[in-house]
Amino acid sequence: MKVLFLNGNNQNSSLDNFISFLSKILENRKCSVSELKLRDMKFSPCRGCFNCWVKTPGVCVFKDDGDLICREFIHADLVILVSPIIMGYPSAIAKNALDRVIPLIHPYLEDVAGEVHHMKRYDSYPELALLLEKMEDTDDEDIEIIRDIFQRSALNLQSKLKFLKLTTSSPEEVANAIINN
Amino acid sequence: MQLSIINGSPRGASGNTEKLLSHFINGFMETEGNSVELIHSIGDRPLFEKSKELFLRSKNLLIAFPLYVDAMPGSVKELFEALQECSYKNPDLSLMFMIQCGFPETHHTRFVARYCEKLSSKLGAKFNGTICKGGCEGLSVQPQALVEKVFKGFYQLGKSYGQSGKLDKTLLDKLAYPEQLSHENIKQVIPMVNSFLWDYLLKKNNALDKSFDKPYKL
Repeated sequence: MKVLFLNGNNQNSSLDNFISFLSKILENRKCSVSELKLRDMKFSPCRGCFNCWVKTPGVCVFKDDGDLICREFIHADLVILVSPIIMGYPSAIAKNALDRVIPLIHPYLEDVAGEVHHMKRYDSYPELALLLEKMEDTDDEDIEIIRDIFQRSALNLQSKLKFLKLTTSSPEEVANAIINN
Repeated sequence: MQLSIINGSPRGASGNTEKLLSHFINGFMETEGNSVELIHSIGDRPLFEKSKELFLRSKNLLIAFPLYVDAMPGSVKELFEALQECSYKNPDLSLMFMIQCGFPETHHTRFVARYCEKLSSKLGAKFNGTICKGGCEGLSVQPQALVEKVFKGFYQLGKSYGQSGKLDKTLLDKLAYPEQLSHENIKQVIPMVNSFLWDYLLKKNNALDKSFDKPYKL
């Protein structure tokens, strides 16, 4: 299984160490693991120009690290968005990265279980998962809101949300959630 | 009444969020003595000083944004993070949101709307409601009558808010229609959007034959 960590940690902290431990466990269990440390990458936020849909289909017009995010994303089996919960939501850099993967879907709309969603561009898409670090102000309602929104995001990205785990779980528990269904 | 507005749209003053806001503002300004101050947060990055200053000195603030991947655009999340240092520093503030999306059903906006209400409490402000509206992509290519109806809805809501200081529930619901679509309606809507919006734009750019390109395919 090819696992991609989209590391949306906005600063040097123990969250990075969690990813390192988890990666080692996964590699020992025959997963291929890669990590994009978003805070060290250069990419513009999506400007909603839709040129990636109507001018250069499938590619953003910004020539920056957003290209690498798209490439790694579509070739993974599981994309794990890792982030601290800031003001009740994953970090802005994590959201900016997610906004930049829309070239991977098609602008055309289709009926998905009675709702309008975007059509596929590629044959298959990775599953999504969330690994989040709580802050002092994080409560259970925040987690539920995040889970609900990311289930929607996954639906729109032709994917599904495999799990939402908190860093209060051990790396072994998270590894089990990744490998077992 | 004074109303402050932060338009968080990454398209700034040229986007659909701005168009909808302008009709809300026109309605709001019908009441004598009302005034509006509108800023664009995209021009205020990365420190968002103007937005923070507006947050701290306003009594009524409306934050408007389009739906990006089922939530606020990343650049609007940056703004929310910047506002963290203003939390509980303006307890008199009434905070409202406006979320518009391109999908025809307003339902898509409801999930992040729940977040916005929660955010208000984290910021220590009074939550005064969220305006949600689907079907807002391609306003320039939609049938004129439909667009006028949307604009009129925003105008009426703005007018009523300008008089009462509250978002009228009946007008909010009317504006949000359709919340969801039946299978029959979806069957009608999808080919229209695909051809009148997307094919039109693809043809304009000579890109229709490339529309299903897979540039990252191995």
